[in-house]
Amino acid sequence: MKRLSRPGPGETLLLTATRLLDGRIVWRDAAGIWQEHVGKAAQMTLEEAEPALEKAQETAVSQGVMGVYVVLAHEGHPPQPVTMKEHIRAFGPSVHPEFAYSSTSLSQSEASS
Amino acid sequence: MTKSVGHYNYEPKDKAFLQERIAEFEEQVERRLKGTLSEEEFKPLRLMNGLYLQVHAYMLRVAIPYGVLDSRQLRKLAHIARRYDRGYGHFTTRQNIQFNWISLEDAPAILRDLAEADMHAIQTSGNCIRNVTSDEYAGAAKDELMDPRVHAEILRQWSTLHPEFTFLPRKFKIAISGSPEDRVAARFHDIGILARPGENGPLFRIFVGGGLGRTPVVGQELFDGVPEEELLATLEATLRVYNAFGRRDNLYRSRIKILVQTIGVDAFREAVKAELEKMDISHYRLTKEKVAAIRARFAAPTLDAPDGGTATLAEQMQRDSVFARWVKSNIHAHFDERYCIATVSLKSPGEIPGDVTDRQMDGLADLADRYAFGEIRITHLQNVVFGHVRKDQLYDVWQGLMALGLGAANIGLAGDIVSCPGLDYCSLANARSLPLAQKLGSRFGDMELQAEIGAMSINISGCINACGHHHAGHIGILGVDKRGKEFYQILIGGQAGEEAAIGAILGPALTEDETVEAISRMIDHYLSHRDIGESFLQTLHRLGKAPFKEVAYGSV
Repeated sequence: MKRLSRPGPGETLLLTATRLLDGRIVWRDAAGIWQEHVGKAAQMTLEEAEPALEKAQETAVSQGVMGVYVVLAHEGHPPQPVTMKEHIRAFGPSVHPEFAYSSTSLSQSEASS
Repeated sequence: MTKSVGHYNYEPKDKAFLQERIAEFEEQVERRLKGTLSEEEFKPLRLMNGLYLQVHAYMLRVAIPYGVLDSRQLRKLAHIARRYDRGYGHFTTRQNIQFNWISLEDAPAILRDLAEADMHAIQTSGNCIRNVTSDEYAGAAKDELMDPRVHAEILRQWSTLHPEFTFLPRKFKIAISGSPEDRVAARFHDIGILARPGENGPLFRIFVGGGLGRTPVVGQELFDGVPEEELLATLEATLRVYNAFGRRDNLYRSRIKILVQTIGVDAFREAVKAELEKMDISHYRLTKEKVAAIRARFAAPTLDAPDGGTATLAEQMQRDSVFARWVKSNIHAHFDERYCIATVSLKSPGEIPGDVTDRQMDGLADLADRYAFGEIRITHLQNVVFGHVRKDQLYDVWQGLMALGLGAANIGLAGDIVSCPGLDYCSLANARSLPLAQKLGSRFGDMELQAEIGAMSINISGCINACGHHHAGHIGILGVDKRGKEFYQILIGGQAGEEAAIGAILGPALTEDETVEAISRMIDHYLSHRDIGESFLQTLHRLGKAPFKEVAYGSV
């Protein structure tokens, strides 16, 4: 498995996955529950992210998610993923504002139940 | 039931096959949702049914064989967009449609809905023969030598679930045209076919080894004058040689173009001939009776229009200059003087190329029923065509299109931008292509400016896979990723058609806004340096790339 890189100053690590049922992007919160909004993601250090990733991969099937991995982001509320690709995954397509993932519609993922 | 115009009408056995296939997939989806199939096991199964996993959701790619739909089918697509997606569909550069917001659990129900209208998503993915594309003006164009759609349908049936060609080294794309104007980019396909009538039946000129993507190559002539009865045998032998010798150890070297380049087209031809000699040709003989049986499942439009349509149209154009501009850019000559071919632009300024809403799809279906024999064609340039419109009714069609927001007069002009979905939706992409398409569409949105610039193709791809055919654009744009940031490489001088050429990279990649400005300056340079009547490409060929590079990078 690829080793994780240590985040720089002002940066943090998030855990993300894809929900099996509908392909929706989800983010793991501090309680280990998959959430739809990146604003609920646990913001972790390298030392926190490594075991969290291992555990999330072990429980992915039972939690209804797949493709678990770590994303580098700038700290904040919500955190801002560093790359454009992850930014689009976190906030929705840039060309259809009506499809943006709104912070007002935070809801717990179906996958966590 | 009345037969639909322009495409093969299903027999009961075709419908039964789709139901069997859906039942099989439904069971596979159930097993996946229960967790008895892993994603690794399920992925090839869902891809065989056109279901991808993209950035935000599952994406379903639905096949539109040779780009022809009837109004019933387009309404069904509108229904799917409304019920299962978010009110949109996206027409692709392979004449297919994609739905970007699909749930896995809905996929079998969608396939059942599609099957009600004789549609499916089979072979829209995977290393098999993909949707066969054809000329959007087929069976209508004045310049056409023969209608290629019956043979396109024969190729569709031959290639569907072909037991030998379900696991090729890589995907395989075939296009067929029956016009001397190559409107299908035949030389940019794995196999491109140009059909023409001969003394004893149709003859086929076959190109092989073309393609875009990571290694863009112009296809080379494999055979010319292949008689109709040998068409399938020739293709079968060609695919067998590729299947046997195409590379499977390297994804990036696995397309047929690499094999043809590696051994040379002459050696490849000899290998195909040797394969033909080993085959039981009688098994593959395409007899006149077989062709007639397929042709019988097509309905032709009954062309019946009053005389005087040309005069009526001229009068309406004189009265309404906006309509006149649309006619000039969006109409193509029909073989029947009383009719014309109307291309509907899905590139209104600032809009996403190829996107249509459910309301627009329903509206297009209504217009097709009323004015175009219920037939709709999807082009590989992401537009829609009504193949047979009475000239005296064209003004009514245009008004209907204007009401749908689809009245842009820009076919073949700067605003007629081809674009892949890019990073906003595609998990393979490195950069977004749609926002750039929107910005360029707005920059050149003025219809008078577009008419002044003249023939121009701008093609945008969000990654090296080149779904936006950026190598084939007069101006091509390739999105690249540099440490998580988007940049765009400009190419210049590409074109499809008889003089197919691959665009040359102009220089270092630019940011999105710099790209828009650079292209604006290139077009300004063309406008100020062209000779009378000279197109952008002609000016480029006369002046060379250097001055365009200079203006493009001059202010960066």
